[in-house]
Amino acid sequence: MKPQVAFFDFTCCEGCQLDALNIEGQDLADLLDSIDIVEFREVSTAKAEHYDIAFVEGSVSRESEIDRLKDIRNRADLVIALGACAHIGGINCLKNHFSMDEALTIVYGDDAKYYDTIPARPIHAVIPVDFNIPGCPINTAEFLRTIKELLLGKTPELPNHPVCVECKMAGNVCVFERGETCLGPVIRAGCNAICVTAGRHCWGCRGLVDDPNLDAQKDVLAKYGLTVEEIVEKFKIYNTYSEVAK
Amino acid sequence: MSLVNINVHHVTRVEGHGNILVNATDGRLEEVRWEVPESPRLFEAMFRGRHYDDVQHIASRICGICSIAHSTASLQASEAALGVPVSQQTRLLRKLLFNAEILESHLLHAYCLAVPDFLGVGSVFPLLDTHRDVVVRAMKLKRLAYCMADLLAGRKTHPISCIVGGFSMLPDMEKLAMLRDAFVEALDDFKATVDLFKMITVPDFERETEYIALKDPDEYAFVSGDIASSDAGIVPIDDYLSVTNEFCVPHSTAKYTKNKRESYQVGALARFNLNHEQLLPLAKEASIELGLKAPCQNPYMITIAQVVETVHVAEDSIQLINRLLDSGVSPESEPREIHEGRGIGAVEAPRGILFHDYTYDENGILTHANCVIPTNQNHNNIQKDMEALVPTILDRSEDEIRLALEMLVRAYDPCISCSTHLLQVRFT
Amino acid sequence: MQEHSVLVVDDEPIVRESIRDWLTEAGYQVATAETGEQALQLVASRDFSVLVVDLRLPGKTGIKVLEAVKAERPWIRTIVITAYPSAETVQEARQLGAVDYLLKPFAPDNLERLIDDTLSSIPPEATVTTVEVPEAAPIPIAEAIEVKQTFAIDDIELRAVFDALVETMDVIGVVEKDGHFVFDHVKHFDDLRLDYDVTVHPPTRYLFPARESLLKLRLGDEPAAQPSISAPAQALFGVHPYDIKAIELLDEVFMATHSDPNYIARRRNTTIIGIDCLNPSPTAFAPSMGTHQTESGFDLLLTDIGSGFMVCVGSESGAKLLATHTAAREPSDSEIAAHRTRLEKAQLKYQVRLDVSRERLPKLLEDHYDDEYWGERSKTCLSCGSCIMVCPTCFCFDVKDEVSLDLKTGERIREWDGCMLTDFAKVAGGENFRLSKASRFRHRIFRKGKYVLERYGMVGCVGCGRCAIACLPDIASPAEAFNAIAQEAKAKAARRLIGKVASEDKLYTPRPAKLIRVEELTASEKMFEFALEDGSALGHHPGQFVEISILGIGEAPISVSSSPTRGDTFQLAVRNVGNVTRALHNLTEGATIGIRGPFGNGFPIESLEWKDLLLVAGGIGLFPLRSLIQYVLDRRDAFGRVTVLFGARSPQERLFLSELASWYERDDVEFHETVDNSDATWDGNVGVITTLIPEIGVSPAKTMSVIVGPPIMYRFVIGELKKKGLADEQIIMSLERQMKCGVGKCGHCQINGTYVCQEGPVFSLAELRNLREAV
Repeated sequence: MKPQVAFFDFTCCEGCQLDALNIEGQDLADLLDSIDIVEFREVSTAKAEHYDIAFVEGSVSRESEIDRLKDIRNRADLVIALGACAHIGGINCLKNHFSMDEALTIVYGDDAKYYDTIPARPIHAVIPVDFNIPGCPINTAEFLRTIKELLLGKTPELPNHPVCVECKMAGNVCVFERGETCLGPVIRAGCNAICVTAGRHCWGCRGLVDDPNLDAQKDVLAKYGLTVEEIVEKFKIYNTYSEVAK
Repeated sequence: MSLVNINVHHVTRVEGHGNILVNATDGRLEEVRWEVPESPRLFEAMFRGRHYDDVQHIASRICGICSIAHSTASLQASEAALGVPVSQQTRLLRKLLFNAEILESHLLHAYCLAVPDFLGVGSVFPLLDTHRDVVVRAMKLKRLAYCMADLLAGRKTHPISCIVGGFSMLPDMEKLAMLRDAFVEALDDFKATVDLFKMITVPDFERETEYIALKDPDEYAFVSGDIASSDAGIVPIDDYLSVTNEFCVPHSTAKYTKNKRESYQVGALARFNLNHEQLLPLAKEASIELGLKAPCQNPYMITIAQVVETVHVAEDSIQLINRLLDSGVSPESEPREIHEGRGIGAVEAPRGILFHDYTYDENGILTHANCVIPTNQNHNNIQKDMEALVPTILDRSEDEIRLALEMLVRAYDPCISCSTHLLQVRFT
Repeated sequence: MQEHSVLVVDDEPIVRESIRDWLTEAGYQVATAETGEQALQLVASRDFSVLVVDLRLPGKTGIKVLEAVKAERPWIRTIVITAYPSAETVQEARQLGAVDYLLKPFAPDNLERLIDDTLSSIPPEATVTTVEVPEAAPIPIAEAIEVKQTFAIDDIELRAVFDALVETMDVIGVVEKDGHFVFDHVKHFDDLRLDYDVTVHPPTRYLFPARESLLKLRLGDEPAAQPSISAPAQALFGVHPYDIKAIELLDEVFMATHSDPNYIARRRNTTIIGIDCLNPSPTAFAPSMGTHQTESGFDLLLTDIGSGFMVCVGSESGAKLLATHTAAREPSDSEIAAHRTRLEKAQLKYQVRLDVSRERLPKLLEDHYDDEYWGERSKTCLSCGSCIMVCPTCFCFDVKDEVSLDLKTGERIREWDGCMLTDFAKVAGGENFRLSKASRFRHRIFRKGKYVLERYGMVGCVGCGRCAIACLPDIASPAEAFNAIAQEAKAKAARRLIGKVASEDKLYTPRPAKLIRVEELTASEKMFEFALEDGSALGHHPGQFVEISILGIGEAPISVSSSPTRGDTFQLAVRNVGNVTRALHNLTEGATIGIRGPFGNGFPIESLEWKDLLLVAGGIGLFPLRSLIQYVLDRRDAFGRVTVLFGARSPQERLFLSELASWYERDDVEFHETVDNSDATWDGNVGVITTLIPEIGVSPAKTMSVIVGPPIMYRFVIGELKKKGLADEQIIMSLERQMKCGVGKCGHCQINGTYVCQEGPVFSLAELRNLREAV
């Protein structure tokens, strides 16, 4: 029987799920020859009891989401975090810098008392996770490669070197040479340095490499004119949940 | 005693999470409620204290489908607040980029989210076996939109090169020409799309309501113009608050809006009703073929209006690309001067009018933000539509009532996770 | 054709006579000698073009012969053959002028080809036949445009050359981007920036791209692989001399031995238009590396003299280009003066210099291997890889299999990789052989200053200064490292081969082999028996390894576990530890896999013969050692006393049970076993393997010991063997490293300057004493 695959979403923008299926019609047909999509709320009414692979997008930011996530973990053989929100907490964690009351008041004013929220966190803070597909949004090729590797019986592995490697392979001029700052040297590659190639810099959406030399990176950023506060602000956008921002 | 108890938890085939509740006893409707249990994202809090260079990047993440719309509204708000002008080249590129989003979002909705209901299946996947050419065509046209966005902004979901003042990367002209050729060749596929939707029987339901959309004297508005209403006159976008009138509802994380009536509708049908004269020729033809005439008060026709708009943006994109190829593109320098201030950016996201309202200090740091999301503006209307629809169909089976309500919600093409607010409509 | 005579010197009659027969058939006059003394007598009395000499000779060694020949008959081209290459002997032989060395055993073809190449390589002063000259030339033009001559042309004429190239091929020239210079596809002469100081990325990326396909794969029940080679016609326009020197190094690396089909195809289709660098970048130090000027490696070399260009012709095709599209003329005196002045002025502009002559770098580095400098300097290293990615002399790569969504087809691709990245030296089992940043940092500097020079005879760093610019913490410049530990050494040059080299088209293409039999050894180890589908024997030596391919999954290096004396099939014993081995373990009999190899040097049978043998295997170290044990047992008479020791972690982890039983039974083998942890089933020795050694009687003078096992085991066993009185040369080991190509190119298996896949995996302790990273 083909692997039974499902997609779930929590607090997120749903961009990663959509990008997962951003493929040609023929590729979709090939994919559905190899896997069955048994639950994918956004595009299908189907539901299932058990999953071989459950892709989970989004971070956890409400109490009710914790139970729903645990239930999915119980019914899935493999749980794979899909995208930065599920993997490292993502943009959602930016609100963690305010107290929850303060954040709600900013948005809802006096009516804040009606709403509840908890500090946002990646899914690995709630359940054990088997693999990750990083990025905001994910890189569709990396997503497909992970599926192919699982189908072949390989253990999916993410690159353990920084974005700089791919940036140089792409023939880019270094962002620092352009007079801007970039988190690339401590951020995990696998995106082909797409943001630098498009004329911007790396914001760190794929999370840190296994053993980042953060002190050196802070020195480098300071050398190019940023204060420690500014550096921390840069990291905060995606990496609030990690040790970096501390 | 007959009981109708419908409780749809997390409606499928919509973006975001929504619930539908209906309770009726002996043919008497007790409660019908549209509920949106979406977690509050709290973006307005996330923007605070960020430098303007990061704001578009964060704003884009409000939504994965309409990230270009949020990016564009965000940039326009920042530019208005900071006093940064944009060139004609930037305007053209932004319009073209926006077309990519309208195209992809409408195609996704029409083909993948709505069509399955009309063909009696749960999703687009089984259609690969029964209607393979339809699926292949849908994916092909979606890919065209993705390619256009890749070329202009590096990526469609969360575009990269849109910055305050313009773009950090310019498209390769050769590839742009090839893209134009691909669009021209694809006009047949758009025609086939129109033909497909001609065959669909849209449920018959009407309710008069107010329609609100951007209106621009020079073109069918997506990224420019003022606020127009079917009930009232034109309001400049800076006065948007007087139109949206957001208010909180107890036990609901969604803010409601209303203007001249209890609720109003935004989106493709609103745009069509207000601006149909400005559609390009092929789109006008398509609207006639599809039987869409202004003013149309049937929310189920929103999907049809979207199909008309896809034809419009296809033709518009070809024209825009030709203009860009004629004028060429040249690198522009980054903004030199900024000042403190407040600015409003308004665009027509695929689902309707979207506002971003920012205030910056003299260092370019954001101090206050407000966003009014199209789906927010529709929640109330959905509720009112349901209230009007359900009594007329109570005699049908529970399954039929449920399907009709789900299709109604789907017709609005809600983008619920955009709602920084939650619509908790629980009727009991 | 002039008849060439070859002198073959080897003490083994078989070797001597076979080579003589092959070469005679190939049309050479061949003489032979048995000893070094005989060889020198013959050399003194007759004329030879080529000398083929074995390194190991009784009496006067091969090295001594080379020395003498170099002194007395320096025009004789010398080729070294040996079964035991080592970094030192290679270097020595090269320094004595040896053109190349061949590993025994080698095929007749290889030797013949090498001799052909050696004899027909064009000496530097060769002239080219007269080329067609355009009519109506207002200024006197050279009657013949000859290679190595320099002419003068105007700007307009250079433009004509450029335009002509654009019409027939992809032209890649230097343009401006984001305020810097890069090589990029260019169509208009006016976009060129020939006055650039340095490009962000080197032009070598157009010969050795960041990513390229090696094989196209068909997956499924009938897997197959085909080489995949893409080589568009291209011209690199405006290459500085230091980059030309880097390309010459890559030519040597990729073409001289194990010729790489992808590189060769690209190289042959590339025209190089060089240009002297008149505006050096602030971090460059090319003159210190001898690379600021070049006399070879280009088709044309330009120098901007203000009023026009001087053009040096470097090849026939360059000559043709010039003659067809310009009215190149003899330069006037003032032009020649301007040329010289500009080059001299340029050399003065370099801001960074080595404080030590580059020839002294290898020794300097060796003497400072343990300096604190390496740890201190690398503290701020981000392991970001920028230095290696912008380096023109870096060429390490990774190899991966990618598959289509329908899992029916795929590609094997190679991508840049490098020693500065954290996981470069990590093996599937998890061990990382260069874990610390300091060790990686040091390794890179040693590559640039020592290992490349010693292996290939050319500088490993061309002083372009790109890494210094790219490195964010500013620690990358080799000049700084060299200067920081300044001292002296020597370097030499080697030969060029571009036109004459035949590519090994199937270098990366695996041969199909069928799985005949699977035997489960333990819970996580199996023995697989394979037969090559074309029916031939693998032809391996005990101790060699193969690269086994499961198409779509990848490739892994596995030692051969069976002796070549046991028939045409071969056995691989494998532990399930990574993606490829897992896939292997899931195969059933009848499946087809791919094999490349055999690779590596194998156990040194010649130095084991007639000696007492003490063979020690720890755990799955028995896998490679078994090939030797079987071989020895099959040729029992050629060896003295044979003692075999085997240690397993527990009785459940003992391997090849029936074979072990047979060893117990033989009375011409002393076999002892031990387990670390016992259980009820075991009544033998309990304890680590070293506990077996003290009891063994050893005559140190005539004993050779071969050990294979996990890294931790070596240290302790060596200790015990030393107590028994064995010298370093008498202790032989087999080492494991990550491998991706098996042919000495991808860089992953390096131990200091040695490639484990080439000079190993078998090493004597004496050799390893010089390799600091080894144990």
